[in-house]
Amino acid sequence: MTASAPSVDAADGLPRPELVAALPRMRRYARVLTGDAARADDLVQDALARAWEKRRLWRAGSDLRAWLFTIMHNVHVNQLALARREAGNVSLDALDEDGGWQPSVRGGETQRLELAEVLRAMGRLPAEQREVLLLAAVEELRYEEIAAVLAVPIGTVMSRLSRARERLRGLMAEPAASLRVVK
Amino acid sequence: MTSTPALPPTDDDLNAYADGQLSADRAAEVAAALARDPALLARVTDVRAQNAALRDALDPMLAEPIPERLLEATSAPPAAARAGLPQWLRPAFAVAATLVLGIGLGWLGREVTLERAGTPTTFARAAAVTHALYSVDQRRPVEVWANEEKGLVTWLTRRLGVQAHAPDLNAVGYALVGGRLVAGNDKPTALLMYENADKERLTLQWRKTGAGVGTGEAAFRYAVEDGVGVFYWVDEECAYALAGKLDRSQLLAVARVVYGQITAAEASGKH
Repeated sequence: MTASAPSVDAADGLPRPELVAALPRMRRYARVLTGDAARADDLVQDALARAWEKRRLWRAGSDLRAWLFTIMHNVHVNQLALARREAGNVSLDALDEDGGWQPSVRGGETQRLELAEVLRAMGRLPAEQREVLLLAAVEELRYEEIAAVLAVPIGTVMSRLSRARERLRGLMAEPAASLRVVK
Repeated sequence: MTSTPALPPTDDDLNAYADGQLSADRAAEVAAALARDPALLARVTDVRAQNAALRDALDPMLAEPIPERLLEATSAPPAAARAGLPQWLRPAFAVAATLVLGIGLGWLGREVTLERAGTPTTFARAAAVTHALYSVDQRRPVEVWANEEKGLVTWLTRRLGVQAHAPDLNAVGYALVGGRLVAGNDKPTALLMYENADKERLTLQWRKTGAGVGTGEAAFRYAVEDGVGVFYWVDEECAYALAGKLDRSQLLAVARVVYGQITAAEASGKH
């Protein structure tokens, strides 16, 4: 077996341009996980630190985004468990199902109303349903990849996705509290 | 020809079909079932519409400027951390390392210089980051593909409020892949992506500037952010950026073609 060529990257392991390119998606995923922009950036920073610690586990040429997502999901779960222990026996859902989702939506008035509704409905889903919707519908990862990120069987991914879609459909069908624009 | 009837689509099948994740064979079976059953078809359509709504709601987040501390976190941690110093000792080293890096880091240093000269560099940096973000995307680098070019131009024109132009770069070896809208700052930015035979990608981005920003002087400015070259300029209505991982002279050649076509189209009032 021939030895692999030494890494050209002086930092030994992770390709910086690809890391930078992955930042917006990591921030988005983190915001979906935490429901809060400031905590989200903290989570991304922690995930990147962990990624550097574990850099030898990443195989050059494999999907960096999926690997980073897996790490971030892991860091988030650990942080939640730590917070739960420190807070006493509070349920996981109570910790991360929040009214704290702070969507900031840009665009014209009508567009803002529609997008704000989607984000508001998303905010009312349990975190694990928000998460699977993001990974499947928005990031368009394959189900096998999502299963790896979440460390669950594919069957669990499918059933969570099904429930998430059902629940989101129900939330979107409720008449909005705010004024609806009639077309 | 007789064949065993296919199993009716399950819930999982419908979800997977809507997400494009079924095998070709099973997808064909499900498609046939959908053709016979409007209620099933409606469920698939609903899922796809929901997917699109989620993307519309969540994609704008991708264009937000990245905080400095996260950009720094993409660099390898300083030797102190790798040497296993306890956590309470590390922040001091991290700060010191950042100060040293801040003076040496190419784009930070350049930005300070250019800011003093009054050149808008944040647009160039945003264009470079946006290019890096979408040019590596295999599945959905653009929202509207080149086969719908006319509709794409109409859509971008409407959303930006200024006539869009899709330059033809075939003469310099680049074909249009398609386009999308990027939510940038408080103004939407249009993005067209081009690709050459080696699958290398360029993006042309533009947004409406405030009235009177264009000085009438067609100066190309150039910046490099993390290996992505950007030529950028303003005209009366818009600020443009052409981004790609080409060397400067190659990128300039394409920028001239782009500029020439846009100017000519605007002069003649064509699309």
